[in-house]
Amino acid sequence: MNSSRVPIIILYLTLVFLVGPFLVVFIAAFGGEPTLKFPPTSFSTQWFTKVFEVESFRSSFLTSLGLGLMSTSLALALGIPVAYALSRFRLPGAVVIQTVLTSPALVPGLVVGLALLQYFINLGGSVYPSLLAAHTALLLPYVVRVVSTSLINLKPDIEEAAISLGASRLTAFRLVVLPNIRGGVAAAAVLAFITSFDQVAVSLFLTGPGVSTLPISMLTFMEYNYDPTIAALSTLLIIFSIGLVLVFERVLGLSRYV
Amino acid sequence: MPGRTVTPWLLVTPALLFLTLVFLYPVVKLLLNSFSVGDTFGLGNYTSFFGDRFNLEVLWRTLRVALVVTLVSAVVCYPAAYGIQSVPPRYRGLVTALIIVPLMTSPVARTYAWLVLLGQTGIVNTALLRSGLVQEPVRILYTEWAVYIGMAQLFIPLMLLTLISAMENLPRDVVPAARSLGATSLQSFTRVILPLTREGLVVGGTLVFTGCITAYVTPALLGGARVQLLATLLYQKAGVTVDYAAASVISVVMLALTLTVAGVLRGRGGRT
Amino acid sequence: MKTPRHVRLLFTLLPLSLAAAQAQKTTLVVSGFGIAQDKIEKNIAKPFEAVCGCNVVFEVGNNADRLAKLTARKANPNVDVVLLADYFAKQASNQGLFEKLDTAQLSNYGKLYDFARDPLKDGTAVAFTVYSVSIVYRTDKITKPITSWKDLWRPELAGKVALPNITTTQGPPTVWLVNRAYGGKDSDASAAFGQLGKLKVLTYYNQSSQVTSLFAQDEIWAAPVGRFAWGGLLNTKKPLAWARLSDGQAGLVNVASVVKGSKNVALAHKFIDFMLSTPVQTAQALDLVDSPVNKQVKLPAAVANQLTVGVSQVAGLRFMDTSYVLTNRDNWIQRWNREVVK
Repeated sequence: MNSSRVPIIILYLTLVFLVGPFLVVFIAAFGGEPTLKFPPTSFSTQWFTKVFEVESFRSSFLTSLGLGLMSTSLALALGIPVAYALSRFRLPGAVVIQTVLTSPALVPGLVVGLALLQYFINLGGSVYPSLLAAHTALLLPYVVRVVSTSLINLKPDIEEAAISLGASRLTAFRLVVLPNIRGGVAAAAVLAFITSFDQVAVSLFLTGPGVSTLPISMLTFMEYNYDPTIAALSTLLIIFSIGLVLVFERVLGLSRYV
Repeated sequence: MPGRTVTPWLLVTPALLFLTLVFLYPVVKLLLNSFSVGDTFGLGNYTSFFGDRFNLEVLWRTLRVALVVTLVSAVVCYPAAYGIQSVPPRYRGLVTALIIVPLMTSPVARTYAWLVLLGQTGIVNTALLRSGLVQEPVRILYTEWAVYIGMAQLFIPLMLLTLISAMENLPRDVVPAARSLGATSLQSFTRVILPLTREGLVVGGTLVFTGCITAYVTPALLGGARVQLLATLLYQKAGVTVDYAAASVISVVMLALTLTVAGVLRGRGGRT
Repeated sequence: MKTPRHVRLLFTLLPLSLAAAQAQKTTLVVSGFGIAQDKIEKNIAKPFEAVCGCNVVFEVGNNADRLAKLTARKANPNVDVVLLADYFAKQASNQGLFEKLDTAQLSNYGKLYDFARDPLKDGTAVAFTVYSVSIVYRTDKITKPITSWKDLWRPELAGKVALPNITTTQGPPTVWLVNRAYGGKDSDASAAFGQLGKLKVLTYYNQSSQVTSLFAQDEIWAAPVGRFAWGGLLNTKKPLAWARLSDGQAGLVNVASVVKGSKNVALAHKFIDFMLSTPVQTAQALDLVDSPVNKQVKLPAAVANQLTVGVSQVAGLRFMDTSYVLTNRDNWIQRWNREVVK
């Protein structure tokens, strides 16, 4: 064997290791047996029907979707101004600001969840706001990092020109900067949404009555059931992420931002 | 221009205020709790945590898992990242997508796959038996091995992506040049590739290492009751036995580990 | 102005989802088990909503998780009715998390078996189901039937046994009965821990789905299991038997209580009463979810065989005193981690 082929073979084997298990889940999801089996000995689509029949999956999917959209919007609303300020102004103490803003990415999710559980109980807060706060905090570092990258790549000359022609900084931002960093903002939104949607550790302590996220419902369901329903649901989630990656890789070149 | 001084502060204040109120304050409070015994300051929670051999084993196991997974992913990803240069250009987007898809997929779904694969009658065992490598089915699920495998699949994409982008900055002909000057492949790796991609390695390594320390789903589902890591122990202390003192000590230990590693990264001049 | 469409979409959805999150009616919050959620929805939640004209919202999870959340939210409870295994409920009751039940408001109270009327002995709970804990084993691999807890130590079972982790509901009863089987006194579980430390265990399970998967994948041949997992185990299509143990099966009840500070105490009583009613208890039994505690429930023999039904069966069960478990639990968890799991 030609030794120069070794790296690419290792690459392909790694890809099989990364993606192969998904194929197994796909196949297991179509099994006809009442317990999970691989390879299945009969064919059925009943587990996909069951995914939609389980009430906790339906309600927690909606919760996850709403939570993902809300926390993403909040993180964008809070994060874009920060990214702009950090890339366009010389702020005293910029290092401190940056450290504070990246801190949610450094603190383990379980710790965040536990801390917020204790904090929000003392405040008498309910479940949803604490989940929303935790997710938003978690997403901020991603938003700031991705949007900052786009802003740094955008030369300040054009907006300076607009400002010198009499536009206010806000107008310059709206008309000049925002359209040019659209890709970055969209990529930040997608990454943030996915991060929230898939989040387990932070949510684990914070879910409560009537408010459970999809990953937590899956874990609870798995605790008591050993049938292919989770395989079917996983299949749907994998297809969802493949779709998302393909669309955004084509439109934005997502790989530049990950 | 007066806006120069006020505007940036207006821009950063909401985010800073938000993070301070709903993130920094609660987290710091939790961490400080670990130092209170009754109503006074003390290290009692720490001495009782570290005095228990079971907890020390969990700590050591967590470090071992993180180190092994980081090393293995570095060893695998270097050649794999180098190999992407031999992929025909029009397939490179597909390869990148295949690396990113797992990253974008729910960790519950990803870990679930291994439950199917690693059991006594799962296909890994079936393949091992057929190949004659083993006579008896091997126990993988609910052992440390299952955790290694699950974690590796979870975090290899991070290492691979960082190394690929680090290697894009390598001058294209630097390796052939080294080879033509008589360097062996090992020499061209240690003398040329490694120094030029060191930053990528440090970034990727940090991501994998801290990821392993904080991951919850994989050890919970694949390790079972026997293979506890800090994350599952934290969950048990806070969620099952309602021992908040121990839970806050574990929080401090986990945070100290991730910060130390992140600090090493910054010391190496990497980026976050 | 050209705002990116994605951003605009996000901001349109923001108030919408806010509104959805805040939509509220009279809502009864029930904290229950995650098992057979679809059946519970069908047999209890939906019919009750039709009767009460209220919303029923379930929080589901295992005992330990939900108890921890209940404790954490003691000052601001957001659950009205909580369903727990007996000794978890006793722990909650000791912490003052429960209201006293007003049995006058429970029209079905008179129909209950005696053991179900005041399982915590402090008037804060009624049992709504009962189940046994015994050993399940593979009849094709183990030809001589298992009849004693000691049979787990048979040489042919070495490495083929799973035990419930001590933090599960089945953990303490297993320790208790093993201790008795080996002649230990209830005041000292050393006999059990000495023996359990020597047992060749494949793994310790935390969840009933884990024990199902272990049987389904031929990893284990025997394990102590709670009866509620029996339906799932039968689905594996493996030849399994439920051991009749000469040294006793453990009996456990799941109980319902009203959370202290609930703003819907009357409605909570109504819900509990509904759960105890003959039609609901029958429906839950026919779906093999819960064995009834209501004496008037009549079941076909085929169904009754799969459950823990009737005076005669229940009489053979050994119920652990909930206070006994609570006094010893912390110590048992420590000894378990040091001497058994290792």
